[in-house]
Amino acid sequence: MSELETTQRPSWWKRSDAKKAIFLWVIFTAIIGYTASIIQSRAMGSPASENMSNTINMVKIFTWAAAPVAGLVAALTITTLLGQRHFGDNPPPEAEHEIRNSPRVAATWVVVSTLLCLFAVIYGMVLVQADENKLRTANPINIDVTGQQWVWNFKYVDNGGAQSADLYLPVNKPVLFHVTSTDVMHSFWIVQMGIKVDANPGYVTETGTTPNKIGVYDLRCAELCGLYHAYMQKKVHVVSQADYDAWVQNQGGNA
Amino acid sequence: MSVETHSHSNPHHEHPDVVGSRNRLGVILILVADIAMALSVLFVFFYLKGQNVNDMWLPAATPDSPAVLALSSKGTWYVTALAGLGAAAHFYGLKGVRAANRTQLVLGGGVALVFSLAALIYQFMQISSAPFTTTSGAYASCYYLIAALNTLHLVLTVFIAFGNWNRSRLGIYVADHWHVDIVNVWWIWMTVSSLLGAFALSFA
Amino acid sequence: MTTMMNRPASAPGDASGRKPLIERLNIVTALVVGTVSAIVIWQLALHFLPQDAETASFFNREDKISLMSLIAWFVGFMTGIGALIGPFRWAFGKDLNHDENMFLAGKDQGIKRYFRYTTDHKVVGIQYLVITIIILFVGGTLAMLIRTNLGHPQGGWIHPQAYNAIVGWHGIIMIVATIIMITGPFGNFIMPIMIGARDMAFPRLNALSFWLIVAAIPPVFISFFTGGITTGWSAYNPLASQAGLGMNGYIAFICIFAISTMVAGANITTTVVKMRAKGMTWNRTPIFIYGVVASVALALPAFPVFFLSQIMSAMDRAFATSFYNSAAGGSGWLYENLFWIMGHPEVYVILIPSVAALMEMAPVFTRRPLFSFNLAIMGIAGISGLSVLVWAHHMYISGWAPLLNAPFMLTTELISIPTGMLFLVLIGTLWRGRLWMTMPLMSIFALLWNFMIGGITGIYLSDVPADAFLHGSMYVTAHFHYTLMGAGLTGALASLVYWFPKMTGRMFDKTLSWVSFWLVQIGFNVAFIGMFLVGLAGQPRRVESYASIFNKGNLITTMGAYTIMAGMLVLLHGVISSWRNGVKAPMNPWQAKTLEWTVANPVPLENFETLPVITSDPYGYGKAQS
Repeated sequence: MSELETTQRPSWWKRSDAKKAIFLWVIFTAIIGYTASIIQSRAMGSPASENMSNTINMVKIFTWAAAPVAGLVAALTITTLLGQRHFGDNPPPEAEHEIRNSPRVAATWVVVSTLLCLFAVIYGMVLVQADENKLRTANPINIDVTGQQWVWNFKYVDNGGAQSADLYLPVNKPVLFHVTSTDVMHSFWIVQMGIKVDANPGYVTETGTTPNKIGVYDLRCAELCGLYHAYMQKKVHVVSQADYDAWVQNQGGNA
Repeated sequence: MSVETHSHSNPHHEHPDVVGSRNRLGVILILVADIAMALSVLFVFFYLKGQNVNDMWLPAATPDSPAVLALSSKGTWYVTALAGLGAAAHFYGLKGVRAANRTQLVLGGGVALVFSLAALIYQFMQISSAPFTTTSGAYASCYYLIAALNTLHLVLTVFIAFGNWNRSRLGIYVADHWHVDIVNVWWIWMTVSSLLGAFALSFA
Repeated sequence: MTTMMNRPASAPGDASGRKPLIERLNIVTALVVGTVSAIVIWQLALHFLPQDAETASFFNREDKISLMSLIAWFVGFMTGIGALIGPFRWAFGKDLNHDENMFLAGKDQGIKRYFRYTTDHKVVGIQYLVITIIILFVGGTLAMLIRTNLGHPQGGWIHPQAYNAIVGWHGIIMIVATIIMITGPFGNFIMPIMIGARDMAFPRLNALSFWLIVAAIPPVFISFFTGGITTGWSAYNPLASQAGLGMNGYIAFICIFAISTMVAGANITTTVVKMRAKGMTWNRTPIFIYGVVASVALALPAFPVFFLSQIMSAMDRAFATSFYNSAAGGSGWLYENLFWIMGHPEVYVILIPSVAALMEMAPVFTRRPLFSFNLAIMGIAGISGLSVLVWAHHMYISGWAPLLNAPFMLTTELISIPTGMLFLVLIGTLWRGRLWMTMPLMSIFALLWNFMIGGITGIYLSDVPADAFLHGSMYVTAHFHYTLMGAGLTGALASLVYWFPKMTGRMFDKTLSWVSFWLVQIGFNVAFIGMFLVGLAGQPRRVESYASIFNKGNLITTMGAYTIMAGMLVLLHGVISSWRNGVKAPMNPWQAKTLEWTVANPVPLENFETLPVITSDPYGYGKAQS
């Protein structure tokens, strides 16, 4: 990496520590990218909506995009650490040269980090836009969500306004939540569907998704809301359309 | 240490201009903080007005209480005018000390002090005669916030104007005048911040 | 209370033998006056404040009383320490004379000067160091309580109310400790010497900024016993207006602390701009100075916003105004905006000086020049500039303005570019260097590692879709601990070991510094990697119990936390034992080239006999130079 213009020195990539660093870079990039993406996607569990699969993919892609950066930092620092070390109470002799700058390295570094940064921005924006569009074009079922210390209440607007403290959703049907709160801020988070929006007193916020797997999922409050914040949880039941209709009618609504 | 400084009143042999420019920068930096706060007050005002949550910026009449009406901003403009006159008086005094005319400095400083007191009293009267209480919706809250900020500024101004007048009366400002210069900076900002408040309240 | 046997006869003091006021004030009078005024106001208010109307919300009268008592404490304390003497002497035309200024500077007062309104920047630096250590100790103890409670699933032995109070208390005092941990001790003690000045630009403001922090601490400690800060450190409204009387302690704490940072910011910036030694052009100014100035200058516009948000919170509580009460026209989003306009610059207030301190050390321990000084400055300036434009990334999912998510995503991710520059500067300096293996040098490696993880996870969080999953989860907690602790605190600990010889005249025990380094770093990485995993699995922040799937990750985190605790206790032991009977330090133990190493130990009052003249930057290592 260093910029040694002295002619008798070999090109920088032929020097042994540079070779070592490049070798380590490849190794570390592979290790970091592989383990980090495996561990992270495994920790995030299996997705129950496209939002969540997108998020998991995004985390994986970002991890692989970041792995060369992390790998480079690790390779350079570890090569340096494996190089000349000096112990004792007095400083080592001063370096043989006085390199204060390297425009080429600096420029490369800045350009590459800018590209990576733009990639992250654009990728994120595209994904957000896609989610937004899907929400607008679909013909979703609307559910009013009201948070209060420390329970959630649901009103099935499109099903005759049935009210319940349980959240049932039909599978493969887009759903739009209109979220608000009666007291303090809460945050409406369906973990396995990768969606979250704050419940603010005085405002209605929106979020939506399409659950694509039948099962029981977790709804948690993600904003500290007082004494029993930790217990403001609920199960989300994703069921077949027929089961959903039956459940809604049972709650006094119409299918 | 610093044996060389014992006989001297200024321990570092620094030129008054050096000390003055340092002090001026310090005051300006502190004003940056104050400006940030004043601008945030404007942000609060216009944000709450724009949001008008639950239509409670100016609550409509209910069976228990009449509707809250926005106050005429005239009063706040009068306070600003008083502050502006004080600033002008101080500037007159500043010109005096620049021309080594002590009488003019004492006169200008004294008049500025009177104006700052008048503005403070007037501000108090305004707060106490407001036709609503702190619980009358977001506009009333913002009104009290802006008034409180201005009152705080005016209290500081009275203190500073008093010190400035008293010191010029005692004849401290004959040779150097950077203190008076800095007081002038404060007066200008005080007037501007008061003006910002009056400006916001004109848009209720 | 004190006898000044060796003070010159010309000292101020009237003929009756009574010492003048300025010499009678110290921390004892401050505590007495502060406590007495608080009690007096409290009793008066109890008796004379009218009862609330039937319609008033429950806490109004109590809030008024407690806020008035806290204000009385504050005013009383500052009066008792002597902060008002200067302004009033000015107003009455009796400026402090030279001997009085020398007294205030702590001339010939031995240990007692540490307990007074002393203006000498070195005294203030030591005072800051001690108070930072105390706050970190308390905050660390609270962290251990949190982790112990979470070590066991299904709630622990701490009541949820107390648990929430501990989380809030830990958060806010750690934020304050990390804000002052570099600019306080090292910015005050080292910085003026480093630029070749005799003292700060405004020595009395310097003392003021320190004693304001001392005045701010009792309210936040007392708040724990009056209901606690049960809202987390961010004290979101309307939750905060619902919280008990403890919130008033938080409000008082923040307001006083905001004044302190403002005063310190103006003071330090002026010192650097106006008082650098002759010949110290901006090119020759050490990078640490840039870091300190960027940090305090960033705080200048940021903290008044926080101050205002808390004033409004106090008004909501005491006078039932409706800034944040949506039922009466207020908005919680207003609070969030104000809070984060301060809150995001604030994390760089913490981080920048820490990175800059390590940049200062990198050339010393590799014996070569700092790589690309200009890039370092661009990095610091770029981060500072962008940091005021990113606050709403804390509010992606609050729903306040979905259209603004994209621009804030852009500004947030742009910050990775200047941050990358700082990485390059550090790596470029280390690369192929001959490493002098000391704890500060290894801290650079630790910072690169931790900050890399903190930075990359920050990019996940800055992307809206990922944030929709990760926001409010333990992932966020782990992320900002990686930046504030893994990067910030690492730099502060390295600074402590590096500048310890200059500040105390003794070397920091080498073995202890190594032991604590490895314990802290290993424990830290274990603890917060575990926390990342439970965050990814969906554990929300600030919960006192959790589902059983999070057991393993939390147990790992708790074990890591105990390792950190062991490391920090070793470090504390190192500080105390080295300070008391460490090896006497030579003038320049690291053979560094910045100015603070050219003055004797202990550093004399006013630092320099004759002011130095600078002819080159302090990074002239390497054979080419000599």
